[in-house]
Order: sequence, then C-alpha cells, then structure tokens
Amino acid sequence: MNFAMLTRAGNTVLRSSTRVPLRLASQINYINVNRDSEFENISWGAMTDQAISYAFVTELCRGAAVSLAHFFKEPATINYPFEKGPLSPRFRGEHALRRYPSGEERCIACKLCEAICPAQAITIEAEERADGSRRTTRYDIDMTKCIYCGFCQEACPVDAIVEGPNFEYSTETHEELLYNKEKLLNNGDKWESEIAANIHADHLYR
Amino acid sequence: MNKLFPFDKFVTGLNIIKANGGPLNALKKLFRQDELKIGTLVGTDEMGNRYYENNTYFYGRNRWVEYNDQVYLNYDASQITAEWYGWIHYKTDLLPHNDPNRPKYKWMAKHTENETGTERQYVPYSTMPPKIQAWVPPKKN
Repeated sequence: MNFAMLTRAGNTVLRSSTRVPLRLASQINYINVNRDSEFENISWGAMTDQAISYAFVTELCRGAAVSLAHFFKEPATINYPFEKGPLSPRFRGEHALRRYPSGEERCIACKLCEAICPAQAITIEAEERADGSRRTTRYDIDMTKCIYCGFCQEACPVDAIVEGPNFEYSTETHEELLYNKEKLLNNGDKWESEIAANIHADHLYR
Repeated sequence: MNKLFPFDKFVTGLNIIKANGGPLNALKKLFRQDELKIGTLVGTDEMGNRYYENNTYFYGRNRWVEYNDQVYLNYDASQITAEWYGWIHYKTDLLPHNDPNRPKYKWMAKHTENETGTERQYVPYSTMPPKIQAWVPPKKN
C-alpha cells in the first residue's frame, strides 16, 4: 500500500493491518484539537466582553456568591445527636434477651442461635433450674465477632434473642463488648418498649 | 416587596430568638446545640429530655430533642429513652403515650445512658458456677 492509494481511499479508514510509515500516518490523520475558530475573526464587541470578564474576575465572584447563598440556606445535613436519621423497625442493632410479660426469661437454651451463628459469636451452656425447667447458665455474645446478620433472631423459636434498635453502645475497651447473660437480659429490660413496638410494626410480615 | 427584600426571613429569625428566650438565652442555646430552631414541645421523657416537632423543616430535621439542661455539654444520643426512640427515629408517628403497642411491665428497667468510661461501666464476668473445684488434701488420721 502506498501513499497514492491512501489518498484515493479518502483516508477514511486506516486499519492496523495496513502498513503505513508512522510519519505518513500522522500527516494523514491530522486532527486539530485546539479551538482556533473561537479565537479567529472575533468581533470587537466580543473581545471587549472577554476583556472585562477577565479584568473583574466575574466567574470567581459568581462562584463566591453561590457559596454565600448556601450559607443562608437551610442545611441539607442533620444535627446529630439533636436530630436523628430515620430507622427501620427491622434495624439490627445491639442484642437483647427478652422476657415473657410475667417476667420469666424466654430463652430455653435450644442453642439454635449458637448453631446458626456464622461468626460463632454465641456461647451457650445450659443446666436444669431448681424448678426443673431448662435454662441457660451461660449466654455469651462476643459483640466484636458478631456480624449483625440477624440469623440468631430468625432462628429463635421463642423470640428470646433479638437484635434491638440500639446502635449507640460504643465502648472504650474491648472487654465491655463481651456480653454475658446478665447484660443481655438487662438490655432486654431496658429496650422492651421499643423491641415490642418494632415486632408489632412488622407483625404482618412475620 | 418580600420577593425583593426578604422581610419575612428576618421576622422568622426574630421569632426564633424570641421563642428561645431572648438574645442571651438564644446565644447560649446556639453554643450548646449549634442550631436555633422553633417548634412545638410534644413531650418530655423520664431523663428530662424535651422533644420538639415542626413540620416546616424537611423530613429528618422536623423532629428533634433538647437534652436535659443538667447534663449541659455532656449530652449523648444514648440518653434518649426507649419509649421515645421510635418517634425520634421516624419509625412511628405515634407519641409514646398514644402508642397502644408499647407495653409497660413492672420488670422493665430504667433507662441508662451508655456508661462506658465511667465507674458504672459493664465489666464481663462468668455467669457459670466454677467447673473445677480445688483439691482439698485428705487429713491424716
């Protein structure tokens, strides 16, 4: 393939298979990326406008005016902790062990939550209580292992272990997140009002 | 005229300062809460926090809490009680005292804030009786 053939083809297509010297190819596929036409044949009026725009930094002023306008507008953010964001009744937060309305603890130590827990964060040991019922003596959750998948509350046949609504339980040390049974029952006692309202909000889907 | 010069905005601003108890109190509140708002008081919880609502603010800002004045700058989101938690998080529009689905049992515990870093913090312990008993050497007769 030579130069004459290329010009006859109107240099529309140059396939990578066609062997063209690099110097020649750069001549034929010339594309002007500059905006020369905008700066050629410009009228006196347009030139004056451009000069004034440069001299008075109008674009910077308009940009600063936008910033100033937003200063007086209502902010789009919320002022936590005074205002709080919307939350779902299905939100999976801090765990809690619930009780029956009589005050009897619900957990019967079936260990389904321990079995299903993908992070193996739950440890349960059970014994017979003095009245002959089966209860846990140890119910530990390592909250730093937990991945908050919610399988434990789905596995629970008696709605004993639930992931409550609370997410504001950050601690200063690791050991405070190694919850035992007393802590979980205490969480349940503290949050029962909200836990029960959440379960009721979702009762049509359960 | 209001389009040309926003008088109504100034009137709203003055009303907000008036509702927050004068310029000095408004300044104090601004220091503590970073924001001055006007709204109707819808209730108070057992921790002494006051809950406000004003639906002219957009969703997400139309409900807010003013923490108990006793805690001053030591306010914390965990001081919001469980009863009000659903309302402030927009889960329900029912105020706690109007919500029939919120049970009140006598075993329900009093709300506490997040107590980490204080002397009342939770420290883990075993709830099991010890499994290994120390060997007591038999006495020689």
